[in-house]
Formats: sequence, C-alpha cells, structure tokens
Amino acid sequence: MKKSKSPYFFIAPAIALLLIFSIIPIFIAVTISFTDMSLAGLADFSRINFVGLDNYLNIFNDKVFGQAMFNTAYYVIIGVPLVIIASLALAIMINFGENKFFSFMRLVFYSPSITNTVAVSVVWMYLYNPTIGLLNHLLSYVNVGPIMWLTDPSTSKLSLIIIAVWKAIGLNMLIFLAAIQGIPKEYYEAAEIDGANKWQQILKITIPLLKFSIFFVTVTTLIGWFQFFDEPFVMTKGGPLDSTLSVALFIYQRGFQYNKFGYAAAGSVILFIAIIIVTGIQMKIQTKQKENEG
Amino acid sequence: MKSWKKLCLLGTTLFATVGLMAACSSGNKESASDELTFWYMGDGDQGIKPIVDEFTKESGIKVKIQSIPWATSRDKLLTAVASKEGPDVVQMGTTYMSEFVDAGALMDITEDVKKSDSMKSDNFFDGSVATTEFSGQTYAVPWYTETRGLYYRKDLLESVGYQEAPKTWDELADAAKKLAARGDNKYGFGVELKEPTFGFMFARQNGSELFDKNDKPLFNESEMVDALKFLDKLVQDGSAPKTDLGLEIGQSFGGEGVVPMFISGPWMINSIKDSAPDIDGKWGVAELPKGPVNNMSVTGGANLAVFNSSKKKADALKLIEYLSKPENQTKFFESTNSLPTNKKSWEAEVFKSDPLISVFGKQLNDSQPMPLLKQWDEISQNFMKQWEQVVVSGKNLQDAMDELNEQTETLIK
Repeated sequence: MKKSKSPYFFIAPAIALLLIFSIIPIFIAVTISFTDMSLAGLADFSRINFVGLDNYLNIFNDKVFGQAMFNTAYYVIIGVPLVIIASLALAIMINFGENKFFSFMRLVFYSPSITNTVAVSVVWMYLYNPTIGLLNHLLSYVNVGPIMWLTDPSTSKLSLIIIAVWKAIGLNMLIFLAAIQGIPKEYYEAAEIDGANKWQQILKITIPLLKFSIFFVTVTTLIGWFQFFDEPFVMTKGGPLDSTLSVALFIYQRGFQYNKFGYAAAGSVILFIAIIIVTGIQMKIQTKQKENEG
Repeated sequence: MKSWKKLCLLGTTLFATVGLMAACSSGNKESASDELTFWYMGDGDQGIKPIVDEFTKESGIKVKIQSIPWATSRDKLLTAVASKEGPDVVQMGTTYMSEFVDAGALMDITEDVKKSDSMKSDNFFDGSVATTEFSGQTYAVPWYTETRGLYYRKDLLESVGYQEAPKTWDELADAAKKLAARGDNKYGFGVELKEPTFGFMFARQNGSELFDKNDKPLFNESEMVDALKFLDKLVQDGSAPKTDLGLEIGQSFGGEGVVPMFISGPWMINSIKDSAPDIDGKWGVAELPKGPVNNMSVTGGANLAVFNSSKKKADALKLIEYLSKPENQTKFFESTNSLPTNKKSWEAEVFKSDPLISVFGKQLNDSQPMPLLKQWDEISQNFMKQWEQVVVSGKNLQDAMDELNEQTETLIK
C-alpha cells in the first residue's frame, strides 16, 4: 500500500499562503496583544515592552469597547435573522416564477452584493441626507419626519443595518435558490396528491430540506456581522456618540488612528475568540440535530 | 530519494510564495537608483509637478512624485515606518510631526538647516517653525501653512444691520441670533461638531493655555469651560445647527444662506467660487471675532522632511531647499491656494491685493498650532466625543471637561 505524495503537492501552495497570510499573522497578533507596541515600537523593536495582561484588563474597563461590544451584539441579533429570513423568502418566491421576469429579478437582487461597499455607502448617504435626502423627501408627503437617519443615535444603527441587509440578501438568496432547485420534484407531486397546499409544501418540504444551506448561511452571516466594518467606517466613523461603533471599527481606530497596536491587537484577539465560540456552538447544535435524525 | 523529492517540493513551494510576495511589495529599491522619491500629500500632483520639473532642470536630479490623498496618508506613513522603506522627501502634516519624530521616522537636519540661506528658521512664521522643532532639534522645514478665518455673507449680514463682519464674540452671537430668526431651518453660524480644533480654538480666545508648563491639561478650568458654554448656547438657542445638515457648501453658504457664517481655512475660497457662483461678490472673509482675550486662530499646514531610511540625504535636502525659496512657495500658492510659510513670499503682489488671501495673511500673526504632543490626535478625538454628548444629549459641560481632563492625564502619563 504505497501512499501517494501528489495530494500534498496540490495543497502545498494553499497551505503556504494560508500560513503566511493567515495563521502566522494570528500568532503575531496574539503576541503583540501582550505588548505596548505603538508607532515608536513599530520603528524600533527595542522600544516594545511586554505588559502582560494589561491591555486585556484595560480593554474590559474601556467604556467605549463596552459600547462597541453592545453595538456588535445588536448588529448580530437584529442583522442575522433579517438576512436569513429575507433571503430565504426571496429565494422561495423567485423559485415559483419560471419566466424571464423572474430571472431578471434574480439579477436585480444580486447586484447590490457585487457593488463596491464604499460606492453604495456614498449613494445611501445621499438617500439618508437629513435635509435633501430622498427618504425624508418621500416621508414629508405623508407628514412624517424629517428623520435624522445617521445623525441620531436612536436610528443610526438601524440605518446601517438596512444597508447591510440589502447588500447581503443577493448572495445568500442565490445559495438558497441553488439548494431549492436541488429538491426532487417528486416530493412536491406526492404532497399535492395528498392535498397539501403551497404553504404547507414550503413548511413541510422546502424548509426542512434546506437545513444544511440555512446552517451554512447562518455561520457565514454571523461571522460577517461580527466583523461589521465597511458601512460604519465609511458612513458614520462610529458616531454619533459611538452608537454605530462596531468592534472591528474600534480595533481599526485604536490601531491605525491612535497607533496603539498592542491595545488593538488585544481587541482583535477577543473578537476572534468570540467568533470561534459562537461558531462552535452552532456546530454543536448542527451535529446534535444530525444525531437526532439519524 | 523520497526525502529529496520532498525537499525539492517544499523548496519550490516556498520559492514560489516568496517570489509572489516579492512581486507584491512595491520596492522603492528597484526604481532607478538615482531618482529621488517625493511623497506629496494631495489629490494629484498638478500643483507641484511644474515646480519640481524646474528643479530637475536646474540640478539634474530626477524626482519621482507620488501623490497620496490626505485620507490615506497616515496609513501610508505607518507602512513606511514599519517596513523601514520610505520616500526620500516626505510632506508631513503639522499635526503628524510629533508622533513621527518620536518614532524616529524623520532625519535630524538641525545643522543643514542652520547653514542654508533658504531653509533657516528666521525665514518662516514662528507658528510654523514651532511644528518643526522638537527638544531643540529640527526635523523638517516649514512648507505651507493655513489658518482659519470667518467666512460670511455680506448681503445677509447687512440685512440684519451689520455693515461689517462681527468683530467680537458678542457681536457674533448677536448677528447669529438675528440671522437664525429669518425662519425655520435657517441658522446664523456654524459651530463645527466634527472639527477637532474648534473648541480648543475658542478656549484659547478666552485665555486658556490648554496645558500648563508641566503638560498638565487645563480643560476643566473656567477659561475653556466658559468658551464652550458660549458655543453650546449658540447651538441650544438655535443660532447654530445641532447636527450635521449634510449640505454641500454651495447649498449651505450659497443660495438663501442656510449657514451664512462659518469658520474655515483658505481652501474653502475655491470651493465656494466653484459651487456657489450665485453669490459672487456677496461674501467675504474676515479675521476671527475677538474673544474676551484675543482672536487666536489655529495654524495648520505641512512641512517637508527627510525620511530616516533615505540614502540620498544631500539630494533630498537640495529639493527641500529649492521648494522653500520664496518664489517657489509663491508659485505653489498660485496653483494650490496653500499659503506660504516663507515671510518673503508674502511680499508678492497677490497677497496684498487679494482681499480674501490678505485676511489670512493678517490672521497668521494671531495663530498657533495645536499642542505638539504625540497623543494629541487621541486627545482631540476624546474631546469631540465629550463635546458631542454635551451638544446632543445635554451632558453637563463641567462634568464632560472633568472627564476629558482625567482621560488626558492618563494618556500623557
């Protein structure tokens, strides 16, 4: 039984790149998080000192980091279900239609996903503009508003969530569509003979059979929301009153604005651990369900 | 044999990866070795290229200009510090100086500057020179400067009985109130919420030193607190907008004049000319209204420095020397509206005859840079957060400043 070496040859480049650009940097970041590295330390390594757990102790006492954690939790708890429900509903609806119009709609819903976030954010900033924005203009016809979308702490998070959900729907919708189209027609035919209506077919056949793709989308969406960065970075810089500051943006600001690389690295390690824990929990639930079914 | 194969494989893979990475890193080394690299901050190099081309003609030194937008300049500089591969000559925002000097990123050019006729510090405004010297050593040469003045709509101020721009805080508040009374969604004066220097500038006009001799912050003393009270009152009584209106300058300052008075630098002159041609001749710039103590404005701008990793110090200094000459600073002003730091440049006709520019020239005599501390960026960000809470959610001003003082003391420690 001679084992072949060729598989190693094929995965070598991928492994090498992963090591250099992912795994080694993670270890470096963990190391940096125990130091007081700043701009001076970046220029001259002899000015870096180990500070033990100081960064971690300080960051947990940092009110702004607390606010960032709260905001990120808010983004995850509101954003993830919204993305999944909306993209699943859209996929099912588009699947009913068979003609050209529906394939065109598929393109329409997918286009935000492939548009550059910065460009999208700029356009949305015009829509949200408190004085000359389209949204407030439309609201004025029904005597509502003007709403200070991005400048009022009570609406700013939701304003960003709307954009992010709108952007995320397209890709996830395609994943669900592909899965839906993989469900054998016989199931539906059998159900129809038994007198099940469309609604019952969706609930009893489509959704249970999409379990795996729902799980996949949930994991990727969760991680995406945990790392929510682009929209607050471009549109609000975390304001007003830190109400839109996500943990990822907090890390960026501490690292690249204030040059506190050690402190920022500690923040990123905490985020990394949080993501691993949440994904781990999901994996557990998934395997449990598999066992119950088996 | 097998292990040899393995080694080969590993070697090839590593080699390929390293090759890939080398291809990704933009090596300054590979660029022609006799070329000087010059990082110029700004959008496009149209303003500076003709002057540098002239320099090349005279000296035979080729210069490669890389223009870097201000927004990404900081990241670029950080990368240069980390990789120890920077440009030869670099334009540094005055506010960046202290942290990059502290990090040892800039060359000490004290002796060279003393010896040079065009670079010696007597040629330049004191406020600008102050941003180049740290603990007695010189790390850069002043290049251009900016200061803030009061932009105002002449026609609208006349309509509320002001033939000239407000000259004192009281007049400013009075005029702003009357202008805001024109109707809904009309204001008198723009109190900047997103400008980190704004509150500190007013504090200085009320006699605050910001820091005492031992670098202890004085933010919670009455001078600063009262100055901020004055600004807060303008916002709370509707003379100034409470939130960012999201308007371009053409919409806020032009037309009906939603915000007919605001404080900004000389770069606004062209923006207004371009985006609000409807109010040509109806607006002007004045020196800042005087506070209880003075009308101190904020000096900003940029310096030219030699990056520490540069191997061509002599050529780099030649370029800086050339750009420091009064006639070249004047040329640079003509193409970009950046105010010269060289006092001699100001003798040029344009600075006397132009009613807008000459105001900034006068204001430069009463203008100081923000404190030169490497933590300043973070301090001013903290200030903006506190200030936002005061203006938007009605936090007690004294409490906010007490907190800011505390935060600052821990930062500077």
